[in-house]
Amino acid sequence: MTTSVSLKDLALSDQKRSPRVEELRKAYFDAVPEICCERPSLVTRYARKHGLFDKPTISVLDKARQYRYVLEHRQAMVAPDHGVGADMKPFPIKARSLFAGSTTSHFKGVPIFPELVGLALWPELLNIKDRASNPYFLADKDVQVLNKKVFPYWLKHSVLERCRARMDKDRVGQPVGHRDVPEMVLLEDLVFFITSKADCISHTIPDFSQVLKRGLREIIKDAQQRGGRAQKPEQREFYAAVVEAMEGIVKFSRNLAREARRLARQTSDATERAELRDMAEANEHVPEFAARTFREGLTTIWICWTAIHLENPDVGLSLGRLDQLLYKLYSEDIKNGKLTVDKAIELLCCLWLKIGDHVAAIPAAGEQLFGGTGSNQAITVGGVHPDGSDAVNDLTYLMIRATELMMLRDPNLNARFHPEVNSQAYLRRLCDVNLNTGATPALHNDRAVIEALRARGDSREHARDYGIIGCVEPGSNGRFYGACASIVLNLTSILDLTLYNGEHRHTGRGVLISERTGDAASFGSFEDFKKAFARQASWMVDRATTLNEALGLTHQEIYPTPILSSLFEGPMEKGKDLIFGGAKINSSGATIVGFADVVDSLAAIEQVVFKENAISLPDLLQALDLNFVGHEALLARLRNPDKTHKYGNEQRDADEIARWVATALDKLFFDKVNYRGGRYRVGYWTMTSHAGFGRLSRATPNGRRDGENFTSGMTPVSGMTPHLTPALNSVASVPPALLANGLAVNLKYTPDRDNRGKMLDNFVDSVNGYFDAAKNGTGGMEIQFNVTSHADFEKAVKDPQAHKELLVRVSGYTAYFKDLNPQMQQEIIDRTEYNVVTRQAVQFARAAAPTNFAKRSP
Amino acid sequence: MTPIKHFFFKLLSWVLPDRLCVPLMRKQIEKLKGALEDVLATALLEILLDGMSIAFVLLWGFRRNLVGFSGKYLFRTANDGVARGAFFASRRMQVLRGEFTDYDVAVTFKDSAALLRFLFSHDQDILDSLLSNDVAVDGNVNYIYKFAFMARDLIGRLNLTDLIERVLARLRVA
Repeated sequence: MTTSVSLKDLALSDQKRSPRVEELRKAYFDAVPEICCERPSLVTRYARKHGLFDKPTISVLDKARQYRYVLEHRQAMVAPDHGVGADMKPFPIKARSLFAGSTTSHFKGVPIFPELVGLALWPELLNIKDRASNPYFLADKDVQVLNKKVFPYWLKHSVLERCRARMDKDRVGQPVGHRDVPEMVLLEDLVFFITSKADCISHTIPDFSQVLKRGLREIIKDAQQRGGRAQKPEQREFYAAVVEAMEGIVKFSRNLAREARRLARQTSDATERAELRDMAEANEHVPEFAARTFREGLTTIWICWTAIHLENPDVGLSLGRLDQLLYKLYSEDIKNGKLTVDKAIELLCCLWLKIGDHVAAIPAAGEQLFGGTGSNQAITVGGVHPDGSDAVNDLTYLMIRATELMMLRDPNLNARFHPEVNSQAYLRRLCDVNLNTGATPALHNDRAVIEALRARGDSREHARDYGIIGCVEPGSNGRFYGACASIVLNLTSILDLTLYNGEHRHTGRGVLISERTGDAASFGSFEDFKKAFARQASWMVDRATTLNEALGLTHQEIYPTPILSSLFEGPMEKGKDLIFGGAKINSSGATIVGFADVVDSLAAIEQVVFKENAISLPDLLQALDLNFVGHEALLARLRNPDKTHKYGNEQRDADEIARWVATALDKLFFDKVNYRGGRYRVGYWTMTSHAGFGRLSRATPNGRRDGENFTSGMTPVSGMTPHLTPALNSVASVPPALLANGLAVNLKYTPDRDNRGKMLDNFVDSVNGYFDAAKNGTGGMEIQFNVTSHADFEKAVKDPQAHKELLVRVSGYTAYFKDLNPQMQQEIIDRTEYNVVTRQAVQFARAAAPTNFAKRSP
Repeated sequence: MTPIKHFFFKLLSWVLPDRLCVPLMRKQIEKLKGALEDVLATALLEILLDGMSIAFVLLWGFRRNLVGFSGKYLFRTANDGVARGAFFASRRMQVLRGEFTDYDVAVTFKDSAALLRFLFSHDQDILDSLLSNDVAVDGNVNYIYKFAFMARDLIGRLNLTDLIERVLARLRVA
């Protein structure tokens, strides 16, 4: 394959937002999310009517019929005519998208999944409109619908509670308060790990290639034929489920087409009528049949995407390599004169807005602890083809331009760059967009990522065809069922258990959590301490994976996913749903929180306690218990990178510890085989959990005080790395083979508007240096930026409404700064900020640890 | 006070100066405070649960929350100072005294002070209690969500928000 770039101006500078897009985008920012009762009501009604609540297991066919029912009975909404403003009153939407349908029944909706953790919103239903942090609109009648007609039926039937019942069933005779198994107690202690299967599996990229090329009708015929030949009853059932689910999607699209035709008949405006007819024609043809045009291709993806979201919560569900999937349709339309670049950009902008037409349901508890987590529907562009050739094409640049024009949280654009294959002009454009948007796209080094996937057994072609999932997780496009966020592990809790001999300061001294691995005074050497740490890590990984496996089995029992399975590579061949291992590549993912804090803490213990004997370990613990009060000299020493080695400064001791920790965790997880027969992969991206876990955690030996944030992703600790180049080299020194579940390296660059050209040159140089194989093996794997100054962030804290479009990179995904909780905002403000011209950290006064976690008005 | 304790304390007062007996006295006061908190927490929890059960009888709209609902809750403190239950079935609520094991969910507060902090919190948000490790939940958490909805529903129906604010303000002053 050859390079497919014919654009004269890669920046597409003459492309602007069309009036339609401008109007829709304004409404998008003005609208508050509205809780949508449509899906939970239909799902519950079907489950009641067909006795699903009485069944011990719910088959894939049950699920498919349920979703078909929902798809056929959903309101056919071509274009919402109003949104709800911040005053909780409706406002008119004066423009119509070029795509019919929406994820929910609202302009900006909040989907509810009572089967998962939807019931967590129950306590708030009456006042969720008034909550200070990210309120949702909910009509009074809908409060009653959820309270009386939906939630009560799911009390004992959510995945978490079914899993709890499954695990607790042999513990009935336990004393009061001890019925839950230890793994469940650890989960609900909040400070050790999160197993996200209670909320979702999602985290994958569907295979859109087949529906684009063949249409659902062919997939249905294929399933019918395979079902006719299948020997095993469960295979026959699976193929029947595919037919049911796909027929539901076909009907949904036809309903939208019918509604568009009805509206076309009603309108007297000729332009509007023509647009509605175009829309109807597209929805009548796709996704039932193969897409013939770029517009039909986009419609196919959009309709299938809404159906997938009906089944799977929007947590890391990602769209994959759209520039590759749609390029043929785009280039043919351009060649035949059916499409202009202007129109293609407008279509992409409309699709981007549609993708962001909903937000995840987050209860107040989640807002406070992990607040502001946006959804993270990743789109991947660029990189190389499966044969290794340059995959960057004109559509890559159009998608980048659409992202630049829209500056939306969703979709989360991720750009692949292969240093030996892709052009420097392409990289320069990616850096340019980062300067313009301040936060996107994230950049991924193909050479390193492909090596990471190869090390986990993916074939060369599959590895080269990776897309980014959710935040930063790489997975082969349409064939990798990775459950990437299965376990979010707070690594610092393992350090606490090591320091306090199996006890944790949050759950209380004197309460044994894990196993005794030695009193602080008993460690004769740093090696002894490392051994104890490794034992605690092993214990915790066992607990977390045990719970994850139980949740996985519960999903098999009650939550098969026929829609996603039908749009995936593997299940059709195997006759097996994804949850039973139908995918071509199966794995589970763990992501580690507090990596840099733990590495720096271990480095401090090695140097200060064992090498220099400056303080004994028990005395260090005493200082930690006092939050360093009265131990200010020690604190100053621990925080001083000139006196105590830190990861991120190319100091051998600390960087070796980083590799040791990553190697140990990779081995512990990789040794586990999951319920689908796959292995665990480890990553280092933290969403906002580094702020939440940090809030719950006491002082650590690296000089971090009680309640302070941990550091995001795999980034070195803020304020500890004064020079940019060593910081990046340290990160890149961790081999990609240990990072197969991805990593997030968050950098903050000071914008320099007066020297933009020079800044861009240096920006590109910094990425080239980080990705440089000569210096760093394969080169660093991933990097993402915030190009907003410390001062501008502080202004946004003071006046959030004036900065409601301020986009930031959190740890993986993008979010609106105003939506983040105060602690997370502080973490971003405090990140090391580099002047990319001098490559030195910029000095600014770091804020004290947040002490007031009160909710603040948005 | 037991005769032995009485004798022991008197003995101490003879051999030790008062300034050394003061810490011991403080410790005794802490114990008394703990006992008082147990009594207070028990009374308040009982008032809350009894109030709710009366509301289910008197208020038809509120009673509709119980349609088709059955559930058994245990609220207790880890030191066994307080244990009260709420049993919902057949559109009725019954307040239970003492511990039982056949609960759907048990909420264990670290001590009576933690329970009091929860009862007097702004919106009985269990999150703060969970975050400060004041409380442990054993069993089905969905039942907690249901209970919290009903508690807030009742507060809203009786327009108790202002009253709670005033009580909180008084407590703060005190």
